Amino acid sequence: METDVKVSNTQVVSAENPDIQAHADWQPVIMGILCNWCSYAGSDLTGTSRIQYPPNIRIIRVPCSSRVDPWFIIKSLQTTADGVLISGCHPGDCHYISGNYFARRRFLVTKKLLNFIGYHENRVQFSWVSAAEGPKFAKVVDKVTTDIKKLGPLHRFKKENL
Amino acid sequence: MNYTNQIQEIATKLFAEGKIDVFVGYRQNLFDENQVPCLVTDPADISKLVFTEKSVFNLSNYLKFEHTRNKRVGLVVKGCDSRALNLMLTESQVKRENVYIVGICCEGVLNEKGEKAQNCVECVMPDAVVYDELLGSPTGKREYLVNADIKELAQKGLTERADYFENVFENCIRCNACRHSCPLCYCAKCCIDQETSSLFHGANTSSSAMHALMTWTLHLAGRCVDCRNCEKACPSHLPLHLLHKQNEMVIYENFQQHLAGMEKDDRGAFYKYSMSDPDDFIM
Amino acid sequence: MSFSIFETDKAGLEKFYTEVISKNETYAPVEAFGKFDYKRVSSLSECMPDSPIQTTMSVKPLFFPKSAKVMKFREDSSGTTLSDTDQDHLAGKRVVLGVKHCDARGLQVLDAVYKWDYIDLDYQKRRENTIIVSTRCDKADTNCFCTSLDYDVENSDAHDVKIVNGLDGKIYIKAVTEKGDILVKSSSIQHPASAAAPEEISKHYKSFEASFRLKMNYTEINEKLQKQFDSIAFEEVSKNCISCNTCAFICPTCHCFKISDEKVRDNGVRYKSYDSCNNGYFTLMAGGHNPRSVKYRRWRQRSMHKFVYYKERFGVNLCVGCGHCAISCPVNISIFDVVNHVANSPAVLQNA
Repeated sequence: METDVKVSNTQVVSAENPDIQAHADWQPVIMGILCNWCSYAGSDLTGTSRIQYPPNIRIIRVPCSSRVDPWFIIKSLQTTADGVLISGCHPGDCHYISGNYFARRRFLVTKKLLNFIGYHENRVQFSWVSAAEGPKFAKVVDKVTTDIKKLGPLHRFKKENL
Repeated sequence: MNYTNQIQEIATKLFAEGKIDVFVGYRQNLFDENQVPCLVTDPADISKLVFTEKSVFNLSNYLKFEHTRNKRVGLVVKGCDSRALNLMLTESQVKRENVYIVGICCEGVLNEKGEKAQNCVECVMPDAVVYDELLGSPTGKREYLVNADIKELAQKGLTERADYFENVFENCIRCNACRHSCPLCYCAKCCIDQETSSLFHGANTSSSAMHALMTWTLHLAGRCVDCRNCEKACPSHLPLHLLHKQNEMVIYENFQQHLAGMEKDDRGAFYKYSMSDPDDFIM
Repeated sequence: MSFSIFETDKAGLEKFYTEVISKNETYAPVEAFGKFDYKRVSSLSECMPDSPIQTTMSVKPLFFPKSAKVMKFREDSSGTTLSDTDQDHLAGKRVVLGVKHCDARGLQVLDAVYKWDYIDLDYQKRRENTIIVSTRCDKADTNCFCTSLDYDVENSDAHDVKIVNGLDGKIYIKAVTEKGDILVKSSSIQHPASAAAPEEISKHYKSFEASFRLKMNYTEINEKLQKQFDSIAFEEVSKNCISCNTCAFICPTCHCFKISDEKVRDNGVRYKSYDSCNNGYFTLMAGGHNPRSVKYRRWRQRSMHKFVYYKERFGVNLCVGCGHCAISCPVNISIFDVVNHVANSPAVLQNA
């Protein structure tokens, strides 16, 4: 069912639309929303440590993971993104004390609802990355990019004039 | 279930004692068997008020509008309606001293086909949770049941569900009746209407319908009381309850069995947190 | 000029529909989520041209869709370029089945505004290329009042082809316009109607007209409403309204629209979509002034536009008495009720 994704050497099929195939040089577009104090700083550390990670992610900085209104995720998926990564501080380390506690409730509900209406559950992923976790950020982006590459281009519910 | 006489008596008393400016109840529609909301300002109109198992519309919705704002209001609420009202009170939309609440211990209302409505069959709280006067005998909180349609859809594959919802969004005409009939959608200017910023789309395409409906659902998550005002208001008969019940189920199962509007001072599931909230899905 | 009238029965009518669907791009009432709307069909089994349940949206979306692309644009370093949108998929030659009297009349009423100060070419093309076939509307529904509004149902040419019940199970397929005649003549149902047909058809319309529960004296209402502009009655009738946009979107004759631009990176599309005067922000202007921020003013505008202003300007009433608004309204407000109440209430001045 949901994990029934065909992957062949040269061609990838969209997980939500099995009749859509990616063109040969398709590269996923991943929207990354990172909290300023931990994850964004962490991703900065990844860069300064010269650790490579896939260039498919486009990063947007927000003050806190709880700033993320669910419709950011929906809008990203509706326009050009094939996947979304949201990253914040570890629970207990939020710069605003409790922002990420509220955020993780919202994240769970949003993820489940998107899966319910027909997005593959791996289209939207979340992580806790602290300012010191440069290597972890690279691993997270790597995992998300690999997952989205397997899922293929997102074609469901997209804006018409793309 | 018939509280017509009691409600007329209460309304008469409230007007006679000068305690209210407007009484919000139900009256019989002129052309068919439905009942429609009735805002009574003249005691002579009290005889129009009725209450039976056809009194469906969630009247808390009328506390949003100019006719009741800053006025003293008498209101009839069933179980689910009172939960919405409870949330409106906690979210500072209504002053408690401005509203005289006639709570009903509801036995369930009928749908268009004349059968007991689905949300009444699955009701968790038929008795009013906040009231000045309670009519009927309370039967207490019931066991939470996962919505039957959700169970069915969850069994289907991803592509099948996506096809189903694509059809749903295609039929949406972006009339916003769902928003306007929901008591908890009281934002003076909805974010979805902020078209000048181009964040949301004014065009009535199916993807803009997805965007708008999903955002609306997620802004109501943890606050929706399953009164089905939205679904009944929808001219395209979209199964909006699927979206809301899905959220309600996830919240109930993961966040300490939270149900919107049950506790006094409840502000919805997203206004609190627990250390034991699940986050194993977060890397 | 007289056009063909053919006689058939239920089986023959189904054959007629099947042939029309197989030879033409056809739209008919299709069920979705327990309601009916006009969708493209490829076989009779997908649709119900004789559905007794009224469609939710009228036939208007086939001529004025809920969302239409107007033009494309591109903004980049070389400036802004405009281009035409793709071909209008609603502009091909097509047939619509199962159209009630009110909906067809609605199109005739809309024609006036679409060729008034600006000729809407898209709309004109869609109208020219479409053949409207009626449904067997044989009795009024609870909210219908089409016959009260300057509408001679029997002799109108709002439909191109009328399908009328005769006596003893007979069904007449009557062409009313040249377009309709071509369609009817191209079917295999070629049995000409007997001499009794005109009388039977007339009888059908008489019993149809007698089936209406709601009747209004339109001329009287029109005159009375003109004196009620400042009446407090508008406030009374609009109390229940929740200002959702449903009635205007559903209405077969409402034609207000809004323009929105949607852009992704450099490319964009300009859309024209439905709008409603009942919306609280309909009259919101750039400086913040909003003359119709209060609900009764919007109801006054709506009622007067439907029953007074349009008639003044174009000679036809804008409301066609279909009852779609009353059925779909979340709180069951009927414009019939509203205008009757306002017209007949004593004129009392508003204080602002």
